[in-house]
Amino acid sequence: MNQCYGCNTCKSADKPLEEFIAGLPLETSHHRVDSQSTKCAFGLQGVCCRLCSNGPCRITPESPRGICGANADTIVTRNLLRAVASGSGCYIHVVENTALNVKNTAKSGGEIKGINTLNRLAEIFGIEEADAHKRAEAVADAVLKDLYLPEYEKMKLTEKLAYAPRYEKWKELGILPGGAKSEVFHGVVKCSTNLNSDPVNMLLDCLKLGISTGIYGLVLTNLLNDVVLGEPEIRFAPVGLRVIDPDYINIMITGHQHSMFTFLQNRLTDEDVKEKARKAGAKGFKLIGCTCVGQDLQLRGAHYTEVFDGHAGNNYTSEAILATGGIDAVISEFNCTLPGIEPICDELKIKQICIDNVAKKANAELKEFDFENRPAVTEEIIDEIVEAYQARRGSVPMNLMKEHGYENTLTGVSEVSLKKFLGGNWQPLIDLIVSGDIKGVAGVVGCSNLTAGGHDVLTVDLVKELIAKDIIVLTAGCSSGGIENCGLMTPEAAKFAGSKLRVVCEKLGIPPVLNFGPCLAIGRLEIVATELAEALGVDLPQLPLVLSAAQWLEEQALADGCYGLALGLPLHLGLPPFVSGSKVAVQVLTEDMKKLTGGQVIINADAKESADILEGIILDKRQGLNI
Amino acid sequence: MKRIIVEYDKCDGCKNCSAACMQAHRETDGTIYDLDLTDPKNESRNYILKDAEGRYKPLFCRHCDEPECVKSCMSGALTKDSESGHVFYDETRCGSCFMCVMNCPFGVLKPDIVSKSKVIKCDFCVNAGGEPSCVAACPKKAIHVEEV
Amino acid sequence: MKYVIVGVGVAGIEAAKEVRKRDADGDILMISADAQIHSRCMLHKFIAGERDEKGLDFTELDFFEKYRIHWKSGVRVKGVCPEEKEIILDDGGRVGYDKLLLANGADSFIPPVGDLRKASNVYGLRNLSDAQAIVKEAEDAKEVLVIGSGLVGLDAAYGLLERGKKLTIVEMVDQILPVQLDAHGAAAYQELFEKAGVRFVLGRRASEAVCEADGKIHKVKLDNGEELACDLLIVAAGVRPAIGCLEGSGVACERGITVDSHMRTTCQDIYAAGDITGRSGIWPNAADQGRIAGRNMCGVEAEYTDIYAMKNTINFFGLVTLCVGRIRPEEGDDIRIKEDRTQYKRVILKDGKVEGVLLQGDIAHAGTWQYLIKNQIDVSGIGKDIFDVSYADFYFTGEKGEYVWA
Repeated sequence: MNQCYGCNTCKSADKPLEEFIAGLPLETSHHRVDSQSTKCAFGLQGVCCRLCSNGPCRITPESPRGICGANADTIVTRNLLRAVASGSGCYIHVVENTALNVKNTAKSGGEIKGINTLNRLAEIFGIEEADAHKRAEAVADAVLKDLYLPEYEKMKLTEKLAYAPRYEKWKELGILPGGAKSEVFHGVVKCSTNLNSDPVNMLLDCLKLGISTGIYGLVLTNLLNDVVLGEPEIRFAPVGLRVIDPDYINIMITGHQHSMFTFLQNRLTDEDVKEKARKAGAKGFKLIGCTCVGQDLQLRGAHYTEVFDGHAGNNYTSEAILATGGIDAVISEFNCTLPGIEPICDELKIKQICIDNVAKKANAELKEFDFENRPAVTEEIIDEIVEAYQARRGSVPMNLMKEHGYENTLTGVSEVSLKKFLGGNWQPLIDLIVSGDIKGVAGVVGCSNLTAGGHDVLTVDLVKELIAKDIIVLTAGCSSGGIENCGLMTPEAAKFAGSKLRVVCEKLGIPPVLNFGPCLAIGRLEIVATELAEALGVDLPQLPLVLSAAQWLEEQALADGCYGLALGLPLHLGLPPFVSGSKVAVQVLTEDMKKLTGGQVIINADAKESADILEGIILDKRQGLNI
Repeated sequence: MKRIIVEYDKCDGCKNCSAACMQAHRETDGTIYDLDLTDPKNESRNYILKDAEGRYKPLFCRHCDEPECVKSCMSGALTKDSESGHVFYDETRCGSCFMCVMNCPFGVLKPDIVSKSKVIKCDFCVNAGGEPSCVAACPKKAIHVEEV
Repeated sequence: MKYVIVGVGVAGIEAAKEVRKRDADGDILMISADAQIHSRCMLHKFIAGERDEKGLDFTELDFFEKYRIHWKSGVRVKGVCPEEKEIILDDGGRVGYDKLLLANGADSFIPPVGDLRKASNVYGLRNLSDAQAIVKEAEDAKEVLVIGSGLVGLDAAYGLLERGKKLTIVEMVDQILPVQLDAHGAAAYQELFEKAGVRFVLGRRASEAVCEADGKIHKVKLDNGEELACDLLIVAAGVRPAIGCLEGSGVACERGITVDSHMRTTCQDIYAAGDITGRSGIWPNAADQGRIAGRNMCGVEAEYTDIYAMKNTINFFGLVTLCVGRIRPEEGDDIRIKEDRTQYKRVILKDGKVEGVLLQGDIAHAGTWQYLIKNQIDVSGIGKDIFDVSYADFYFTGEKGEYVWA
């Protein structure tokens, strides 16, 4: 017998991590996959309805309708709309806070690190303000105003931000969104008890929510953050558990709202705060990246080299990061903060702090982070973390993994930095696509889960298959965290690419997988797609571009996915989004969508088969473009 | 002989055993995701009953030591396998008289919904690896296989 | 030890299996008039052309080899000599035994109306040979008259419908399936048969049937004077135990062979099981009797106790019905009915106990009713609608995980 908590942990694409977790004396999500391996088939198919006291009703051959009369199609699409509305709500919460941060920063005369992005937005919005701070405030106001519109008033910036042919398509389908927050409200009302029963009507609402989520929650969140937090710059950085340096007071950050950390992250490098660390016996403070907010810091890491050493891992690496013993505190502000970290934090005396009450963890102290009170809250947080550091160091064993991860991972890729890297326009990339050196582009985005083969297993296998077919992969989200920890984002990974893509990568000194950062950056990736389409003079569905949320995890991912479908892009999912119980939903999502928006959902849990299908689509699109 | 042992007090009534059974006996290929839950051809061979107090009482074929269904079968379709001890049903021999349905003292058996010409009967997943799918699917471990 | 079993119906077959199980070395000889083992419950499938002779066999593959049994087929027993421990066959042969089981069943009863017993185109439906003869006769027949609308009569009609015959069924009482069903349940089948082209004449009996020159009956006159034309007649008026061969043997008979609960006749080493005992006409009971007789023949004490036989299932045109217990309501009954588009269910309750159940359309999980009825279980305190009562309400598992009635 040994000290391992359990030897039945799930597989991970990251083999050293898999071994590390299997050897831990603590229970992690990887241990629980086995005990949760029995899934309720009705839940899996989305045909369990709990919307009223007559329920739960489940669809079986002998009970094809719920007590109310709702059939599988109604139940499934109601559940899906509810999930998409929730997911949209999450992203809209993020963009709202982000816009407020820009507004407050501007009003208080704070630093504007991304003047280019500010100008780009002001130009798109048609804002002419000479003063940068006033310009920033006006930009933020324009976004907030749209977010707060009622459902019956269309948002104003949609047309300005969307690709024109897409906007026309959405108008034609009647899915232009009203106020983004109201759309969430509308969606939630629609799928409540005994309201809507029309599956197609509800699926169209999903697309509408996809548009408001995509343009506001994704695209604008990135750009607004660029204004205040600084624009991404391409560079190399370390990733993996190696980034944890026990000589520092280490704070693991989880969530999606980078803007909430800016004040803290600046304070941590101030001399008086560093002095506090030194007094406690540490060299200073470090933020350890985890989940998407970690990806965002990594993306903009050029601006924070002192306080941020690198991204340690994605959502399902968070427990392992804590288990190294090197983390003294967790600050979380949003989702992908697993409840399962709580017992680990207790065991290892790690201080848990939440700075946004939507993500309040049971064991965490809530320190609400309003713009006005943030200096005081920040001081409190710093003091408590120093206290935790002193209380735990020495008494908690270290279980570091200094060899884990990679030192030279390419990061900082954005729609702007990539174009700059290519010489200021997309022509070189277009030429490579036309010549076939790059067969096509696949956005492997979204989350990480533990069930599609294991932790990042499908994602990493799919990426390997795709690059071997000379399809360049762009990533965003927790998928990035898994892929980079497996080394596919180092220039050396070019050797895994097909012969043509390999030459391209080696010539440019880049990996065959380019990391755009957090899931929010799916918005950036779609800006790239739009700009490519614009340069070619075609609509998005014509591009040899596919999306895969191979290991999608949560409701936000579903809202993202709906944006992809609204854009007319093929969307691969490793596991079905609890819709397979409805023939109508499956038909609309996988087939009819091609005619509606040009998009389609492909569901396949096998990496090789999925890659073949996606390659087939890319080849079809190439043929359509006569290349 | 191997028997599925039922611990009813552990049952939550999720019917996952039923779904797994349908999946194991479907005519078409596919996964649990695309199992057609609206197709009456997909019938479960196990059932979650409730008593008057609302407690779940899982009804699974016992493959009885002295099976009344076999005793009442006039076509030779139902036989007790001398090796495994399990009661097997040969659909091609069945005369659709349903005397087995009438004679099973526990009410396990039923005619199929679609054709009313076959009996829905547990086969211990003999064609799906021999390990009962229901047992593998039970999240509560309310059923397990034991040598009796 | 030499075991002789007369009859290869279910009682004989089950007895033989039981004997072999308990006596690995004994000699087993089975003797039958039947040339082929067949399930009587499936003769209609043969008539309909759905199954061939082989398809009626209910035994395991290579039954006689597997159980090491000698089988003499195509011969009848003419006499039994308990003193000599011998039986006499109609081929003149004599066969000695140590233990004898008489399981040679019953014969169709042809009532003594007109020339019914004489005519060459009148058949009962009891054995495969009857079915074979009916099929042959039906080749040239257009109109078929069935006398009796019990299960056998309807079986015959069902089979012949498949062969495109015009069918008329005469029934003495004013509903079909009078032994099995109430009028309402019977009407459902009547409608289905009528839809398929059958004409029913209810509340009438045949009064005259004259053999014509060709030795066949071509018309039957009913008690109201109506004349029905026919080329083929099937008489389904019940069966009589085949006890003719026992005359003067000393084996006591009443309606059938008299047996005790061990299936022993009044003569040493002679046993009887199945229809020949006149005790129960249904398959599971005959099978049980055979097994009990087999055990006792091997010296293993066993009693036939599960004698309940008021039970039937019916399946025509995909409409299934199950009936157990009393069908006719009596004074003081508490009758519960549940009926809809797809089912008709009726339960007769008396003093908190179920006396009879009739389920039509949906018989899923209905096995528990038999237990409730034959064991006189009080269901009054369950607190459920009677139609929702199930084994869940008596759920109990034994040491080996078997279900036991609590």
